[in-house]
Amino acid sequence: MIIELDEFTRVEGIGKAEIVVEDGTVKEARVKILEGPRFFEVLTLGRSYWDVPDLEARICAICYVAHSVASVRAIENALGIEVPPTVEKLRELALWGEIIESHALHLYLLALPDIFGYPDAISMIPKHGELIKEGLTIKAFGNTIRELLGGREIHGINIKPGGFGRYPREEELEGIAKHAESLVKFARRIVGIFASQEPRGAKAEIPMVTSEYLWGDDLIVGEDRIQYIELDEVPVNYSFAKHTYYKGKPIFVGALARLLLKEKYIQGEAGRLLDTYKDKIESRYVIYNNLAQAIELVYALERVAELSNKIASEGIEKGIVEPEEKSGEGIGYVEAPRGVLVHHYRIEDGKVVWSNTITPTAFNQGMMELSLLEDAKKMYGSVPEESLKKKLEEIVRAFDPCISCSVHFVKL
Amino acid sequence: MKLAVFELTDCGGCALNLLFLYDRLFDILEFYEIVEFHMASSSKSKEKVDVALVTGTVSTQRDLDVLREARNRSEYLIALGTCATHGSVQGSVENAKEAFRRIYGDVKGPTKVLEPRPITEYVPVDFAIPGCPYNKEEVFQVLMNLARGVEPVAKDYPVCLECKLNEYECVLLKKGIPCLGPVTAGGCNAQCPALGLGCIGCRGPSMDANVPGLVEVLKEILPEEEIARKLRTFTRW
Ligand code: SF4
Ligand code: SF4
Repeated sequence: MIIELDEFTRVEGIGKAEIVVEDGTVKEARVKILEGPRFFEVLTLGRSYWDVPDLEARICAICYVAHSVASVRAIENALGIEVPPTVEKLRELALWGEIIESHALHLYLLALPDIFGYPDAISMIPKHGELIKEGLTIKAFGNTIRELLGGREIHGINIKPGGFGRYPREEELEGIAKHAESLVKFARRIVGIFASQEPRGAKAEIPMVTSEYLWGDDLIVGEDRIQYIELDEVPVNYSFAKHTYYKGKPIFVGALARLLLKEKYIQGEAGRLLDTYKDKIESRYVIYNNLAQAIELVYALERVAELSNKIASEGIEKGIVEPEEKSGEGIGYVEAPRGVLVHHYRIEDGKVVWSNTITPTAFNQGMMELSLLEDAKKMYGSVPEESLKKKLEEIVRAFDPCISCSVHFVKL
Repeated sequence: MKLAVFELTDCGGCALNLLFLYDRLFDILEFYEIVEFHMASSSKSKEKVDVALVTGTVSTQRDLDVLREARNRSEYLIALGTCATHGSVQGSVENAKEAFRRIYGDVKGPTKVLEPRPITEYVPVDFAIPGCPYNKEEVFQVLMNLARGVEPVAKDYPVCLECKLNEYECVLLKKGIPCLGPVTAGGCNAQCPALGLGCIGCRGPSMDANVPGLVEVLKEILPEEEIARKLRTFTRW
């Protein structure tokens, strides 16, 4: 017998799941990514390196900055471009803006209705309007940063190999810093709400992150430092997303993985919150990815305030650094809000001749199936089928899956 | 009035952009009840709607089924975003079958893959708002107009005009940066030239676009095959 879950709602993109039951026991859980393929690896071929980041941004609207930055970092590694420290800092700021926008969207509009038992955030407004408004305010602020540095709220083309098209003014950065500080107290409130969740899903035994907080030249998986080539990618018949394993085991990327492996970075109010909820985070249940996002949201706001003030006081070095080489190969690892994102190119004579992308939702496929399997085993037979389906969908949502991004990775 | 949002294969941007209306979303909610919008709500319904917004391309059999359902259930259907109106990035793939095989090998996938196409090639649409993503002011105005019974009007000028109105320096002629503004539909308020960058054509072709004219100008800056690639990023001409 197969229990079919409906197409997931309150997630980005189109997917569903099925639970296979044989002789009264749960045997298998499959996540079926139905979103059509979008062929980015083919689309990048033959294009000038300059145009590629704008194209790659279109992989996903929720994290276009992460795609742009991963793309420019890969290109810069390939072509020997070294950008000045301000460019790095402004990119970091843009990525934090995206984390703020994305975490606020997920926590307040997509996941919160599960906790309060509503079909969506709109129906929560009569009773919990304040909370939703706070969420929208934080989300809008994240987008202000994306617009300032990325050029538009969605799919801006301002993040270029070698620098930015337009650079922000100092007053704009100071404004961002003040605004960020004022939002910390709202974000704090949401942490407590998500800390109340019961442990569910599988345990993230093998978390994977980039070697620095938002990017790096290596990946850290469990105790090891690796390149992504050392992971195994496996296509499956029932889904447009391939599965990724490390030494035969599913890995987990995202906010929970970051808090587990990058604790030392997190200071201030967020650091105190992390201490308070340490037990839950360290229990590694994937449901606490939501709690981890909430703590990281506080950290993001604090970091944005600090970083914008710093850039404003140091002054901005403008311009675009030209490439040293016309050919080469490079990888860009970036932490998208949902976890590790990989862009990898070979460039010849200024044109991309080979490319590969692996996105966080794709990395998490195996873990998502394992979580569904474990929870379905626990619940099957003891709860009515309708509520089983609903509970399982909540687990999928804890991953904050962004399905559009998972459907086109390749080794050409 | 009842409103539904249907998403086909896309990046999620055109659905997300609706949530980026923030407070003005509440203005829309004064006129409309949202009966279906999978990114934002778990409510599903089979009821008829007054206005359907459809984003994305038809890339799979599932997309086509959803599109037909959307058309049958709605009074007024709007193709929202360049995926839906012109195909956007995936729509410019020349041979999807071959591309699919290169990416996935012999794996079948969960539903039949079709050549990615804008929805306008499958069903009649009542109105189209291009943009990757579209300008959210535009969708706000269109929805408000429809609520008041006013038929919206399509924009028919190129991005160039918006540059001129804003008095931006022409990136193409003054700085020699490749720009598709002269042949791209306006409505974004020339956002990319405002940053000193060339328009990449995300809103699709403008009416009466003089493509050969632009190609002549671009030839001074770029090799011909690169011009063709640039033009074909968001639409098949
Ligand atoms: S038109 Fe662009 S922003 Fe809209 S869904 Fe398609 S790719 Fe995304
Ligand atoms: S300037 Fe061109 S690429 Fe930029 S937003 Fe407008 S239409 Fe799109």
